[in-house]
Amino acid sequence: MADSSLANRLYRGEAGLNVVGRRKMWFTIAAIAVLISIGSFAINRFHLGIEFAGGTKLSVPASVGTIDEARAAVDRAVDALPADAEGVEPEVVTIQRVDSVDAGGGATYTARTSELTNEQALQVKQAVARDFGLAPDQISDSGVSAAWGESVTRQALIGLLVFIALVMVYLILRFEWRMAVAAVSSLLLDLVLTAGVYSLVGFEVTPSTVIGFLTILGFSLYDVVVVFDKVQENTRGITAGSSRTYSEAANLAVNQTIMRSINTGLVALLPVGGLLFIGAGLLGAGTLKDLGLVLFVGMGLGVFSSIVFATPVLAALKEREPRIKAHTQRVLARRASAARGEVPVKAGAAERTEDQVAAMAGAAPKVGSRPNAKRTSGSSTNRGGRSGGAGNRPSGKRR
Amino acid sequence: MAPPQGQQRPGRQLALLGALFVVLYLLAFFAFGASGSIRDRLHPNLGLDLVGGTQVTYVAQTEAGDAPPRTNLEEARGIIESRVNALGVSEAEVVIEGDRNIVVSKAGSSDDSLREVGAAAQMRFRKVLKASIDTGPVQAPPSAAPSGSSPAPGTSAAPNASAAPAATPAPSGGQGGGAPAPAPSAPAPSAPVSSAPAAAPSGTAAPDSGAPVTVDAVRKKVGEKAWDTASKLTEPANDPAQTPLLAPFGDLTPEEIHALTPEMQFNIPAITCDKLNNRPASAIDNEKIKVTACQPGVKFYLDVAKVVGTDIAGASPVLDQQQNQWVVSLDFTGPGQEKWTALTREAFTKQPADGCETAAQAVDPSAQYCLVAVVLDREVISAPEIQGVLTGDSQITGQFTPAQATDLANKLKFGALPLTFSVQNQETVTATLGTEQLEAGLIAAGIGMLLVAIYSFFYYRLLGSVIFSSLVLSALLTFGALVVLGRSIGFTLTLAGIAGFIVSLGVAADSFVIYFERLKDEIREGRSPRSAVERAWVRARRTIISANAITILAAVVLYIVSIGAVQGFAFALGLSTVLDLVVVFLFRHPVMTMFARTRAFLSPRVSGLGRVLKQRPADADVAPTSRVKEA
Repeated sequence: MADSSLANRLYRGEAGLNVVGRRKMWFTIAAIAVLISIGSFAINRFHLGIEFAGGTKLSVPASVGTIDEARAAVDRAVDALPADAEGVEPEVVTIQRVDSVDAGGGATYTARTSELTNEQALQVKQAVARDFGLAPDQISDSGVSAAWGESVTRQALIGLLVFIALVMVYLILRFEWRMAVAAVSSLLLDLVLTAGVYSLVGFEVTPSTVIGFLTILGFSLYDVVVVFDKVQENTRGITAGSSRTYSEAANLAVNQTIMRSINTGLVALLPVGGLLFIGAGLLGAGTLKDLGLVLFVGMGLGVFSSIVFATPVLAALKEREPRIKAHTQRVLARRASAARGEVPVKAGAAERTEDQVAAMAGAAPKVGSRPNAKRTSGSSTNRGGRSGGAGNRPSGKRR
Repeated sequence: MAPPQGQQRPGRQLALLGALFVVLYLLAFFAFGASGSIRDRLHPNLGLDLVGGTQVTYVAQTEAGDAPPRTNLEEARGIIESRVNALGVSEAEVVIEGDRNIVVSKAGSSDDSLREVGAAAQMRFRKVLKASIDTGPVQAPPSAAPSGSSPAPGTSAAPNASAAPAATPAPSGGQGGGAPAPAPSAPAPSAPVSSAPAAAPSGTAAPDSGAPVTVDAVRKKVGEKAWDTASKLTEPANDPAQTPLLAPFGDLTPEEIHALTPEMQFNIPAITCDKLNNRPASAIDNEKIKVTACQPGVKFYLDVAKVVGTDIAGASPVLDQQQNQWVVSLDFTGPGQEKWTALTREAFTKQPADGCETAAQAVDPSAQYCLVAVVLDREVISAPEIQGVLTGDSQITGQFTPAQATDLANKLKFGALPLTFSVQNQETVTATLGTEQLEAGLIAAGIGMLLVAIYSFFYYRLLGSVIFSSLVLSALLTFGALVVLGRSIGFTLTLAGIAGFIVSLGVAADSFVIYFERLKDEIREGRSPRSAVERAWVRARRTIISANAITILAAVVLYIVSIGAVQGFAFALGLSTVLDLVVVFLFRHPVMTMFARTRAFLSPRVSGLGRVLKQRPADADVAPTSRVKEA
């Protein structure tokens, strides 16, 4: 191979990164991260936005000026309040102009802030009234309940559980139960860690955040399914041969799809980055930032976990299966007796000799070669038979 | 050498896509009440946060005037939210404000639907004892024209379909248009009906407990003469001489009317349906008294309620195939069914004493049996003639539009509110986020798309143009779908939704990566581009379908199970995924197939497969012959 820089080897799916072999390390990291997240849930909790926690509504007569002036005055007054015991600063969330449809009603500016105590509300009212030269009682305030009721959260959680149950069934039918378990546990890891980041950093949780969170759901599994698709392809009939263990084949699949995972991650994260940049950088706060942030964190984790978590979990589960276990022992035994010096047990494709690599390129069940012809559809079997002989045959022989 | 379908398909698939495109945009331009300029026609429904909307404040009414229990408010908020959300995927906001207000906000200016959601929705089934034609101004034709709840004499199951069509009151259908069929606008009632005047007497005459208006005050207002005349009435006044005497009753407010006995409300023609329908919200909720209520054009004097809303287990809008009209199908609870059967038996059995048949004939001269009025809050929504003892599910028939049927079914399904609310005010509100957020969102979209485009051109060279054009195509399809869905089912686009679609475009680009990576693998193995495209497609298709199937599964489950904003999200997710699949199947694959036939495809500079192609000789000893064979 002429060019063997890492980028190029990645590009060709021959980087030989040993992901599956180091699974203990990944599991340890994941376990620690999960523990930290759960600890944070208990200690830090979440910083809930007013859509969940409720807030306070302040109404200022519209006669005071433009909506921007009103917003500025309310902002100033609210910002002047000290942070509460938990260090959360009261903030103005929205401000709207409200016009009565029925005749006679006046127009007001209505600001919604995070929940204020009576005392705080009074201070704000006085400050705003001073600004505009009004009497404090011309400004009214009232508590506002959560718009996002508990029932919404409850139904969303039920939906999540139903989805996970159904997706388990789907993955079991489509792949096998071990893959289903590995995929779903990777999904759960993503969700827990994303929530953990939110809890730890204290980002505000708004409906946009929850929506973004649910988007991760599909994305995370999507990624895992693509990798597993490859794993399944690489390991079909693996016990018939004795050249590679299941873990090695799975590792090869990870390597072969790693470029796709990185590409996918980048392509999906680019627009999210755009959202985040605009939302947080230019606007400071709001829907765009909320969504951008949760997606950025969640998708980033999703890409990562599909590579370093899902497949290792799968390999760990598979290596417990008696059939695979026996096969692994056989492969290792054969290697030991090959007496060709040190045989790298953990080897990926890159550590093989040159001709092995070349052979692998054609032989290892890369995309092109579907060792098991009956799975392919009619037309491709046909073509495979005529044209792809070279692609398919060696792998058959090697097994 | 290329498979036959590979040669024929591209054109056909692209044509299909073109057709889809044309249909979508034709719909966007002309269907579902599109009107106005091109700009108006191509306008998706924007959400509360982006364009503002309408908000209605409901104030809970309590007997003592104090704040209602918080739990009741919470429950009412939940029910109202369910009702609002059932109106469509509109992401309305429902909050409790202070200690007794519920504020409902919704994007856009359509307000009537919001005025309805706070209705208590107390359902009562009452036998019609008397009926008379209303003399008041004919109301705009609202929902209901009465007609049968499909009697099925003798049969037990599925009574609905059988007897209904021919037998149910055609005449009442005539009133559906709003004009009372028998006597459109005669000043004095032309077909007053009552019988057994003594049979529906006092003892039921004090419905106004706690009402602020006292009977005495009303009596004073109308004057003794009028009062005496009215008190003596035993049936709707049809003597022209009495009309001027009773005229003062026409000046009463709805609240004052509420203070009168139901008999007086019924007997005085000057008390119009218009007034009756504006009585306090819970005026006739009391199921233990007889009441007077209206259906457009007809005043009814009704028996005590023998079946109530809590007896209904479920309700759903159904299109009655035989009559081709929308009805609301009711499913009673166990005890409710018994009560309903008893009530229909009572109406079906001749009981000369109460004269309800006469009342029925006033509405429909050919009626033989009594009517049972379906009363929702203050109004009669239908009063079908009972033509048999009903022992199964029943329907409420009326000339409902699909929306009205759905609305009614939802009210019944989600239950009555635990509190009575009155509309305090209705206001327009401006956008919470304002235009700078919308602009920022669009800029973010632009930046995101630009980055994706740069990346794909960088990585896949000319193939990037396929990615780019399908992104543009996805965006156009999504936009068209949003316009159409906004108008047809009220789908509302919030800023979060916009952001979601931006993200989904990025995720959609992923299926390209899967495909192109497969393609590279195929070419690396020594296939000709043409066969590689086909083979990579077969492989990638499997992966893309399984991955997208999961996303669609998530969308469907969340849409069915969840409520509120999550449901809106699920809808958007499903929509964008389906559109992704459309673009993948109908655009990318055929375009790639066509692309593979060109020579440029093989050029390393152009296709981004260059490095792989250059590398190929290294693998050549393993896979030497395939290209020759295939070419």
